[in-house]
Amino acid sequence: MLVKDQLKTEVSADGAPRETFVINLGPQHPATHGVLRVKMTMDGEYIVRAEPVCGYIHRMQEKMGENRTYAQFLPNTSRIDYLSAMTYTHGFVGAVERAAKLQVPLRAEYIRVITSELNRISSHLVWWGAFLLDLGGFTPLLYAFDDREKILDLLEGITGSRLTYSYFRIGGLYNDIDDTFINGTRAFVAQMRPRLKMYRSLVTDNIILRKRLIEIGPISKEMCRKYGATGPVIRGSGVAYDVRRVEPYSVYSEFDFVVPTFEEGDSMARYLVRMEEMAQSLRIIEQALDKLPAGPVMAEKVPRVLKLPAGDYCYAVEAARGRFAVRIVSDNKEIPYRIKLRTPSLSNLSLFEEASAGMLLPDALALMGSLDLVIPDIDR
Amino acid sequence: MEAQNDSAQALKDCAPYVRFAKLDELLALGRANSLWPLTFGLACCAIEMMAAGASRFDLARFGAEVFRPSPRQADLMIIAGTVNKKMAAAVKTLYDQMPEPKWVIAMGNCAISGGPFVFPGQYAVIEGVDKLFPVDVYIPGCPPRPEALIEGLLKLEEKLTGKRRWPIVKAE
Amino acid sequence: MNPTTPQPPDSSPQPVPAPAPAAPAAPKVAATAGPQAPVISNQSSVTGKPAAAPAPPQPAPALPNPLAHLSLPFRGVDYAAKGYHAEATVAPDQVVFAAEQLDKEGLSLDTITGVDWMAEGQMEVVYDYFHPAKALRVVVRTRIPRDNPEIATIQKVFPGANWHERETHDFFGIRFLGHPNLTPFLLPEDATYHPLRKDFTQC
Repeated sequence: MLVKDQLKTEVSADGAPRETFVINLGPQHPATHGVLRVKMTMDGEYIVRAEPVCGYIHRMQEKMGENRTYAQFLPNTSRIDYLSAMTYTHGFVGAVERAAKLQVPLRAEYIRVITSELNRISSHLVWWGAFLLDLGGFTPLLYAFDDREKILDLLEGITGSRLTYSYFRIGGLYNDIDDTFINGTRAFVAQMRPRLKMYRSLVTDNIILRKRLIEIGPISKEMCRKYGATGPVIRGSGVAYDVRRVEPYSVYSEFDFVVPTFEEGDSMARYLVRMEEMAQSLRIIEQALDKLPAGPVMAEKVPRVLKLPAGDYCYAVEAARGRFAVRIVSDNKEIPYRIKLRTPSLSNLSLFEEASAGMLLPDALALMGSLDLVIPDIDR
Repeated sequence: MEAQNDSAQALKDCAPYVRFAKLDELLALGRANSLWPLTFGLACCAIEMMAAGASRFDLARFGAEVFRPSPRQADLMIIAGTVNKKMAAAVKTLYDQMPEPKWVIAMGNCAISGGPFVFPGQYAVIEGVDKLFPVDVYIPGCPPRPEALIEGLLKLEEKLTGKRRWPIVKAE
Repeated sequence: MNPTTPQPPDSSPQPVPAPAPAAPAAPKVAATAGPQAPVISNQSSVTGKPAAAPAPPQPAPALPNPLAHLSLPFRGVDYAAKGYHAEATVAPDQVVFAAEQLDKEGLSLDTITGVDWMAEGQMEVVYDYFHPAKALRVVVRTRIPRDNPEIATIQKVFPGANWHERETHDFFGIRFLGHPNLTPFLLPEDATYHPLRKDFTQC
């Protein structure tokens, strides 16, 4: 029997019961990207069963949704997945705008796309640096954070914040962009493309990385579908599912971009999806800057006291980690009756138990890193 | 009298080569210059802590870039993020495992007082990490900028050594 | 699917008639112009009384029902207004069948959650599904009594439901029968409270 198949049974090949031990990965661990605890039943270096235990950063976001008005809940959305904060705010304001039938001005939509894509690039850079750190390489983290600082400077100029922007408001944006931002973004796009090439030759084509990631942690299309995995996880398994393409929102249907999809389903495929996505985000930003219309950035007549008609409303966006969807249940009051946040990291991590059975521990960590988890996204 | 003058003269002569100081001050200087933080990023503030350790803001200038994964080897715990009731026991265990002398920086509003997650009827968040153990420096912000973290570190160094060794940056 | 006489579009799920006369039926799902295709009524979730005063037919155009070929009471929904394409309200004992049918259609499980309708004495369990290849987002709802909330698990059809059901149990106390591990997921291991219930006070 293959070692991997042996480990699925509790008795080893010669009939003797196998000795296993249980260790805890986390909740404080450099490689878990937050407070995740994984209870691992190990047979030596091989994982027999890895059971993630969540809830160590549960911050009651959904309960807060029932205690805050729509405008008051907005800062919470940035803190669900803080690396991709713009897109999460987009999901929430999109749901409210859909329910209240607010017409967001076109300029605001374009700026939303530009800032969301910049946020996507900065999120992927953090993922990339942290992933390489898990695999043992420290240098890419410094390069990634250097590039990310340029994005943060641009966004800080218009939003005032580096990480948890509350830039989108219900009905548009709270602040327009200026020439500093536009010129700075164009300069950033111009200097980022050669950097991506450099990352390819420095890291992606590196033989050690290739040996660590190719054929490690295979996830099939069917497994993705059964667990609801989205984002680069499903795109690395051959399914071209991107909310921006399948359920287009905002003005994404105006742009020409490729949805990178790789067939292999291993960690390398998920890695390449994200690297390609950064290049595609640069394309979207350029097109959006070229097409940016003039006009206001806030809808007219946004009620100060916003009450949504009774019923439930959904909105889905493509965050850096996958499909983020908000479901608002309203009973015609200022405060929502229920806010449900469908977060990608929860679905992505739920397949970890099945996918990691029988793997070596370092390979399982490569798999976990390639899922790109942000734990407050799971716990909310 | 002559013997005293001799030793006083001897001190003056070797001043360019040898310094004398109180042992306490030397130890405090050594500790302040090489605080080893525990990697304890819980939530959003952790990213700003990582940015502070990266090359733009560079904690290495202050000797604090060596983040230790194990509490046994760390002497500074930077609580960066929200502490949950489920997590509180683990945080306390980590604090207890750190050897003396140890210090705690509460980074961010969540660590100071529960942050934006305090509301009537809240059931999961510990309202401030100083309910678990003593905190030396509080850095407000949501999240605080990396410069704020560095300033908090310098305040801790001031607490250790008794004087502030780096100039206060004035806003331009 | 046996055609029955077409009934006027029924724009609300069939609630247990609320005891208080002032309490309206469940918040009306806005503007769901039901299809002219027959709707199978859910016998087991209705007390046998006819639905209260069906609303007059909406003048809106009939929305296409992308799942009309399934033997489930789906109706098309205005995506631009609501954010999903089709929804169905089923009896609690039909949720596994609905999951199996949608699995065969190739949909993926988005999320499972609950809504506590305390005023009506019911809890709603909402299953969201999405299709990974085309724009199709589907909602399946059901209602269970609030004082004894139990429903079958769909975990055998969609293994991803495991965690969603644990979370719904954490927040609402809904017991998923047949679930292999209904222990607290986001709350501490020894938690006995269910915070998203509307009558939750300090634990």
